[in-house]
Amino acid sequence: MAGTGEFVEADNAEAIITRIEHKSRKIESLLKQYKPVEALKTALEGSPPNTRDERCKSANWIVVHRAIMAIKDVDGMFSSLDPEYYDILMKYLYRGLSTGDRPTCDQCLRIHEKLTERAGLGCILRSLADTVNTV
Amino acid sequence: MAAIAVHQLAQSITCHAWSPDHSMVAVCPNNNEVHIYRLLQDKWEKMHVLQKHDQIVSGVDWSARSNRIVTASHDRNSYVWNLEGSEWVPTLVILRLNRAALCVQWSPKENKFAVGSGAKTVCVCYYEQENNWWVSKLIRKRHDSSVTSVAWHPNNILLATASTDGKCRVFSTFIKGVDPKDSRTGPSSDSKFGEQIVQLDLSFSWSFGVKWSPSGNTLAYVGHNSMIYFVDDVGPSPLAQNVAFRDLPLRDVIFVSERLVIGVGFDCNPMVFGADERGIWSFLRFLERKRTSSGPKYGSQFSEAFGKLYGQSKHGVGNDGIEPSRSRGGVHENFINCVVPLRESGKSTATRFSTSGMDGKVVIWDLENQTDLSDYL
Repeated sequence: MAGTGEFVEADNAEAIITRIEHKSRKIESLLKQYKPVEALKTALEGSPPNTRDERCKSANWIVVHRAIMAIKDVDGMFSSLDPEYYDILMKYLYRGLSTGDRPTCDQCLRIHEKLTERAGLGCILRSLADTVNTV
Repeated sequence: MAAIAVHQLAQSITCHAWSPDHSMVAVCPNNNEVHIYRLLQDKWEKMHVLQKHDQIVSGVDWSARSNRIVTASHDRNSYVWNLEGSEWVPTLVILRLNRAALCVQWSPKENKFAVGSGAKTVCVCYYEQENNWWVSKLIRKRHDSSVTSVAWHPNNILLATASTDGKCRVFSTFIKGVDPKDSRTGPSSDSKFGEQIVQLDLSFSWSFGVKWSPSGNTLAYVGHNSMIYFVDDVGPSPLAQNVAFRDLPLRDVIFVSERLVIGVGFDCNPMVFGADERGIWSFLRFLERKRTSSGPKYGSQFSEAFGKLYGQSKHGVGNDGIEPSRSRGGVHENFINCVVPLRESGKSTATRFSTSGMDGKVVIWDLENQTDLSDYL
């Protein structure tokens, strides 16, 4: 565990930003093809929770936010989203709720309701209790 | 039914321990006393009250062979109680702590005991014959926060600790003159007292409830983020497994066998974890099957969770309306903070165990008739 942490710290912030930009383009094209769930998966994958660089976190949040807002059918999304994404998605939902932006909060609460049904209170606790790997 | 006996012994219980023959139970009713009850004709009778501590007793352990009780308290002291005639006589153990003692455990050979504390230290205490005195040796440096739980390896040397800095550590507690020279085997073969064997850095939040499996090959502990961790090959290259579960966090665990673990905690219902043939651990089920499916009314689950986190007891006034949802029809009506195996002498598996919690009940469970779990025993 410590090994991966050092790796990400050594990796410089610029490289992460470049990766996120690349991811952003991929998401846009997935959204054009009406594949919002694939877009969300791509956005959540390789998110940089280990780095302390706020720029990287914000950049990735913008990408995840774009994908979250594109979800229309929440039930349909969960039927094709694997459980391994639940914990990281929950963290981003709380980041969304912390923005205070009305449409973002509406959407996050809608997903939060369904996610809690599926992943339980344990998922919420994991996102709240983890003060090291924040998004 | 997995619960075979339910005993309401107090308003709230912080910890409990059984006498060697399981006929008596020592409980701390969330104050500075320890009450010893004996079962007489289906009624629990209070036999003794151990009254010496000034503050809440946080840990109690009853040694199986030497019939001694050790208690640890927030008043920073420990007492070893010996039964002389019909009286329990206390011996003060000066731990040399400047914060509360949080947990206590006899070593398997019962010649030492370990105390975890809020002073970021672990005390290992042993008896000095010539001075007629329990001496406390401190492991000072390693912990960055309170030590919430301690567990002895069956070899009487290795001690595992869980701490609110999120880490689980294993130390050697070899004491010259107390432990025979040839007792050091395996990864601890030439380690001195207080030497750290391994530090497990799996949890990012408080960790609690560390335990060794009966053989000492596997270590389990829990995190306050609804995770449980299993570690094999404890030593230079440990093999770890993280298991996340969907419900509220655990507080304590026991190994029933090498492949079956019971976890208790904030969900008021013991959870069962099992390892398959390949040694992969997973959540099997709740021990009590009476849970109603949590439909779309998780809103009440939230208030329920907060109620539990703040330790509201069922006896609170004015909220009768939400009581049924809070207790969920289970045996325990509030969070469970202590689980003790009821191991018969000479057996490595313990199919019976007891739990106690903030609802003041001591519940005895039996896994004998749980057919789906018999493969894991």
